[in-house]
This record gives sequence, structure tokens and C-alpha cells, in this order.
Amino acid sequence: MSGAGGTLLDCVGIDKSYNGPMVLAGVDFSLRRGEIHALVGENGAGKSTLIKIITGVTGRDAGTLVFEGRELPLEHTRQAAQQLGIAVIYQELSLIHGMTVAQNIYLTKEPQFPGIRLIDVRRMNRMAQELIDRYGFRLRATDVIDQLSIGQRQTVEILKALSGQASLMIMDEPTSSLTSAESAQLFEIIRLLKAQGITVLYISHRMEEVYQLSDRVTVLRDGRKVAVLEKDQISPAEIIRLMIGRTLGEPEAGRRPARRRGEPVLEVAHLGSEGRLEDISFQVHRGEVLGFGGLVGSGRTELMRAIYGIDPHDRGELRLLGRPYVPTVARSIAAGYGFVPEERRLQGIMGDLSITGNIGIANLDAIRGPAGLVSGGKELALARQAIDLLRVKPGDPAIPVGNLSGGNQQKVVVGKWLIRDLKLLIVDEPTVGIDIGAKEEIYQTIRLLAEAGVAVIVVSSDLPELTRLADRIIVLRKGRVIKEFAGGGVTEEAILRASSGLLEPEEVAP
Amino acid sequence: MTPAARLRRLFAESRLLLILVLMMAGLSLVSSRFLTLENLTNVLWSVCLIGIMCAGAIYAPITGGIDLSVASIAALAGIIANVLMNVVGLNWILALLLTLVAGLGIGWVNGIVTTRFRVPAFIVTMAAKTYLFGLAMYLSKGDQITIMQPRGFLAIGVGRWLGLPIPIYIMLALILASHVLLRHTAFGRRAIAVGANEVAARLSGVDPDRTRIIAYLLSALTATVAGIVMASLTQQAYAMNAGGYELDVITAIVVGGTSLMGGKGSVTGALIGAVMVGFINNGLNLLNMPASYHPLATGVVILLALILNQGFRLPGFLRTWLSRQA
Repeated sequence: MSGAGGTLLDCVGIDKSYNGPMVLAGVDFSLRRGEIHALVGENGAGKSTLIKIITGVTGRDAGTLVFEGRELPLEHTRQAAQQLGIAVIYQELSLIHGMTVAQNIYLTKEPQFPGIRLIDVRRMNRMAQELIDRYGFRLRATDVIDQLSIGQRQTVEILKALSGQASLMIMDEPTSSLTSAESAQLFEIIRLLKAQGITVLYISHRMEEVYQLSDRVTVLRDGRKVAVLEKDQISPAEIIRLMIGRTLGEPEAGRRPARRRGEPVLEVAHLGSEGRLEDISFQVHRGEVLGFGGLVGSGRTELMRAIYGIDPHDRGELRLLGRPYVPTVARSIAAGYGFVPEERRLQGIMGDLSITGNIGIANLDAIRGPAGLVSGGKELALARQAIDLLRVKPGDPAIPVGNLSGGNQQKVVVGKWLIRDLKLLIVDEPTVGIDIGAKEEIYQTIRLLAEAGVAVIVVSSDLPELTRLADRIIVLRKGRVIKEFAGGGVTEEAILRASSGLLEPEEVAP
Repeated sequence: MTPAARLRRLFAESRLLLILVLMMAGLSLVSSRFLTLENLTNVLWSVCLIGIMCAGAIYAPITGGIDLSVASIAALAGIIANVLMNVVGLNWILALLLTLVAGLGIGWVNGIVTTRFRVPAFIVTMAAKTYLFGLAMYLSKGDQITIMQPRGFLAIGVGRWLGLPIPIYIMLALILASHVLLRHTAFGRRAIAVGANEVAARLSGVDPDRTRIIAYLLSALTATVAGIVMASLTQQAYAMNAGGYELDVITAIVVGGTSLMGGKGSVTGALIGAVMVGFINNGLNLLNMPASYHPLATGVVILLALILNQGFRLPGFLRTWLSRQA
């Protein structure tokens, strides 16, 4: 296998527009054989379009594409890209539940017995296992997808792409749904691929990953190539500066002035729920951002669901503003909770409904007029208020939320609570899969809310996010509180060690 | 919004009305008897039972379910009303109120089984369709019972006010009430939210089960009203009354732009859908088409209307012109 050097793919002067504005304008882009190359840029910078052109999903208006020394015709197709060995892994996993690893890898290309059109299951399992072993993954071909962790599923997805002899592997935000530990596993896999001589083109919003992983970085902004950075030029701050074309005025963790915290808003004592949560106690105060860390499955989401009133708990007590509280969703909303769930598309938005409809549903009490009729005018005014507060773009209240970018969808989910008399805001993974500009705005909103006296609980797998936002961080492991870090000065490493159960003896929480 | 964009949106919203107008224009060309007040009243009258049922039945698909039991509920309602009035001998107004309560009870069972026992609505209401029909057969012993009295009750179906049959007023009133309920009340918003994304709705404070139960209550309520009107205007209590109407109701609702997947619905659209089906039958009658051809023609025309309503686009040159204006 050729190690370094040599050009695998060369794109010159790529233009693309979808009826009107230019999405890509004269973009030059090249990949060296066997490198890990990151493609970064804000949402709408043209990353996805460039990928689609390379993989033949969409055509280009002008420019040349040269892959392994051969110029590709203007009507480049998806089939042609596959035959050339260009494989793509998308953000959403496309595995079929209930099927085995082997069945998923060879879906639609199952080996058949010679002469009869029946699937040779044993040969298929053998082929799959050989493929798994060749890359040194720890998986069995006969495992059913449902039993695998998210990280393992991603491995299967990669194997599926590799089964067709890939020379270029494109990954579109592969870590957006992974925890830190799972991401680390994925990076191992990516390095393994590199060692096998496969070129990896990697799209991510997480700067630390790009920094750790990439040999080179190409930055796109507004459909143009802004820069190509070599390994020694890569730094998160530089990439961000190039991506947004300005420097962010955000200091690092710990340098933010200590916020004065007020009286407790929610007090949780010895909360327990069979098989999920055990003896959890904490308080969150007015004007404070309380962070929750831990691996996926550590009970973070379950805890949020319990205190919001989605799932009942069997033990322990809650006090809200000093009074005993038994949560139900309706009661929590009436009492001034806001809840931004983990999975935006599945739990947060109603994609077919307008911005107005999405905001109105959580504010029915505020828009109901005399005789119980809903006032369309009041509803529209609330929607406009939320749009202005969070700068949702485009700001047309009638647009279906499903048509907005991920960042703007999230702003709508957050925005529907901001126009209420908010006491406690719970946000679970607030910035997964959203671009850096929207991310900053959401961070800013969270800080402003805390300054205005709202208690905010942030759950996140993104450690820099957690250390940057939270005044205090509680780490959960296996449904228990394993460690609490006071604000400022806490390192990502310390959180990660606590999450994985790697505490020094003297660090163990009482 | 640019004027062109506004025009495009208006066009998308009134597409269905446009198809209806085109249909009327076509029919008035082929038959001079079509565009008369009397004929149009006849068409409205012919669809008023379907229209009444649509007013409530539409909430099942909006919340992501379906109600296949509305025809059986209607037939049973006629029989119950007759038993209460002419066998038990209650005052007819009291009898009709009790019939409505019975109808609500049926809707409540549909709603509870769908939500609390997590049985898919399709199966629950399919079973209800069968057992309610069975109950109707049992109560009527399978007979076609002629209702001769009371006169007040019979006036509902055959009476007129300002020249128009009373059932048309009942239909229009229920459609209007349902339209207001869907567009301008908290319940309407909740129903749409539950259909659009049940989880997101629950996290926003909506009780999906409660919303669905109310949907089936409304569906059963309007089916009961339709059954009462039908018994009055046919002067008959019969288990076979309204047979197959559930499919006409669903057709009208779907033609009207309501999604069977939930989260999207239009009450006025359903009325237009019902009227459209009425026009098709009316047109076939005016053209003296033998009755045996009607189902074939109706099915094909409905299919065409659905295709037009889904993918109907402006001709190419108009679209280019509009995008240049924008």
C-alpha cells in the first residue's frame, strides 16, 4: 500500500448553484493518498454539496474532478463513484435493526449459491468475519445490530462501506451521536483505516477532533475555499477564525467571572428509580449553570426525565422553590421549567409544523384568549419574539421547522421556553450536530439566562462545552453521582476519568 | 414575502378549491341542468351525512389514527333512537340526547382501547365496526324498521328552513364548529401536535392519550348525529344504513388534504372533498350514466383529484416567469 504522497483526488474550480445563489464558487480541493483530511466550515458553507459532487449524488455546474489520475465526466454518478472505491458514511446510521452484522454488511449484495438465487448464509458470515478480522475489529458477524453499542454500530457501518474495496472513505459528522469514549474508539478505527492505505475525508463540527486527528484541513466559507492547513498549522482557534472570518471573543474555561448564585430552585434528595438511578442528591440554584457529565447510559438522561416528570421515580424527594414537588410534565411547565431534549428530530421538533406551531404548543396557556379560543395574533407575536431573541434564520414564522438547519431547529426548541417565566431550564446535549455560529448563540443564551436568575442544567458529552458552560459539574456513572467538581479549573481529563470510573482512591466521592 | 411568493403560497393553499371550480365548470359545460340552485342544493343534500361524519371523524387521522367504525355507529344510533322513542316511549328530544350519550360511550371505548391498551386504531375501530353492526342487528333483529313518529323527530330529516333542507344546516354548523375547534382552540393545536410528533408534544406538556380519546369521542359524536339525521330522513332504523360510509368519509378527508400519517388536516378541505364526490355522482346522473358504472367512474375521478392535489404544478413557463419576478 502506498503510504504518503501522491494525489488521490483533485477538484479544480468547482461551481455549483441550485437555481439561484452559488453554493460553491471556484472551489479547489485535493486529497493526498492515505491522509486523514478534515473538511470544515459552518452550516451552509458548502461542505455537504462538495461531498455530494464527489460521490456523484449531485452534478457540478463547472470544474474538473480527477480521481486516481482519471478525469471524471461531468455526469458523474453515484454508481460510478462506488465502483471507483469512494465510500460514504452519513450522520444517521443506516443499519437495519433485527438483522445481523453480516446481513447488514452484505445487504443487496448477498452471496448466493451457484445456480440458484438463494442466499448462502454460511459463506456470507465467513466473508463478513474475514472482513472484520482484517481490520482487527472486535465484532462477531452473527451479532444482531440491536445488541451493539452505538460505537460498534458505527464500525458495522464502516465495514459495510469497506466491503466494496474503498480507497476513499468519507465520513459526515461521524461523532455527533457518540460519547467521548466512543469517539476515541472511532478515532482508533480511522487511524486503522489510514494504516491500511485508505484516505479518510472527515467532516466535523468538533474542533478538538479535527485538531487531534487530521493530517490536513480544508476550510470552506460561503461556498469558497478559504484555506488549506498543513499538520503543523492546525489549531482549533485558527480553524474557527478561518471558518467564521472573525475571532470569537470567548475566553476559555475558568476565566469567566464567578457568578453569584441565589437560593435553591430545585432540591433533589436520594432520588432512586429501579434499575436506572440510585440515591441521587443535588441542588440547583438561581443564576447557576449546573453541568452533568458521564457516559451515555450513565443515567444522565434518565435523571433529567425523572425531574421533569416524564418518568416516575420510586424513591427520594424533590423540592421546588422550597416546597415538596412531585413532577409531571404539565406541572413542571406550569411551574416554570423548560426542557430541551436530547434528540432534536425525534423529541424536540414537530418538523412539518411551522415555527409558530412549534412555539405555540408549549405556550397554549399564554395564547388562549376569552372563550378558550386561541389567538393567532398572540401566537404569532410569541413566535416573532422567540425568533428575534435567538436570531432564528430564516425568520419567517410560517416556515416548517423541518426545513431549518440543525442549529436553527435547536433555537426554536430553546426559544419556546424563553418566552415564558422561566425558573429552571434543562438542556440535554444542546449543541449536537449544529454549526459553530449557532452553538455560540446557544452558549450565549444559556449564560444570559443564568445571569437573569434562571437555574440551568446542562447535560453534555462534549467536555469542552461542559467545562466552558458549567459553574459546577456532577459526573454520573451507572446511575449514581460519582463526583462533583466545583466550578473553574476542572480539566476535561478529570471529567473523563470520573466518567470511566478511573478515580484515584482519594478522589472517590463520599 | 415577495408578491410572487405570496401568490405561490395562496395557490398552494387554494389548489383544492381550484380543482373543485374546474370540476364545476366542466360539469356546467356538459349539462345545462348542472348549474341551477336546485341541483346544487341537491348535491349538498346528498353529501350531508358524509359531511356531518367528517366534522368529527377528521380528528382520528389528524392525531395519527383512523376511525373505521363511524358507519356502524350511525346505523346503531338510528336503531337506539328508535328503541328509546317508540319502544321505551321517551320524549324524542330526551331520546336523542340519550342516543348522543350512547354514541360518546362508544367513542370512549375506542379511545381507551387505542390509548391505554396500545392497540392500533385501525384494528380497534375495525373490530368496533363489526361488533357495533352486530349489536345493531341484535337490537333490530335484522329488520328494516319503519319510523312513523314522532313528528318532531321526522322533521329533522325532511324539514326545510329558508328553502334549504335542515340536514344541510346541521352539516354546515358542525363543519364550522369543527373548523373553529381545529384552528382556534388549544385542543386543535394539541391534536395536530400529537399527530406531528407525539414525543415532542408530550415534552411540551400535551397529554397525547387524553387528546386521542377526545378525538375518538368527537368522531363517534358526529357519527351519532349523522345516524340520527339518516334515520329521520329515511324514516327507517336499519342495521345496514350507512353501510360503507366509513370509506367515503376517509376519502373526503384525504381528498381534502388531511394526512393519514397525522399532524396535518383541514376541515373545510374535507367538506370540499365530500362535495367533490357529490359532484362526481351528480355529474354521472346528469349524463344518464347507468348506475353500474358509477363506482368505476367515482374511483378514477378521486384518484385523479388526489394526484392533482399532490403534484399539481404550474406550467413551466409560468413557473419561470414567477421565479424571475421573485
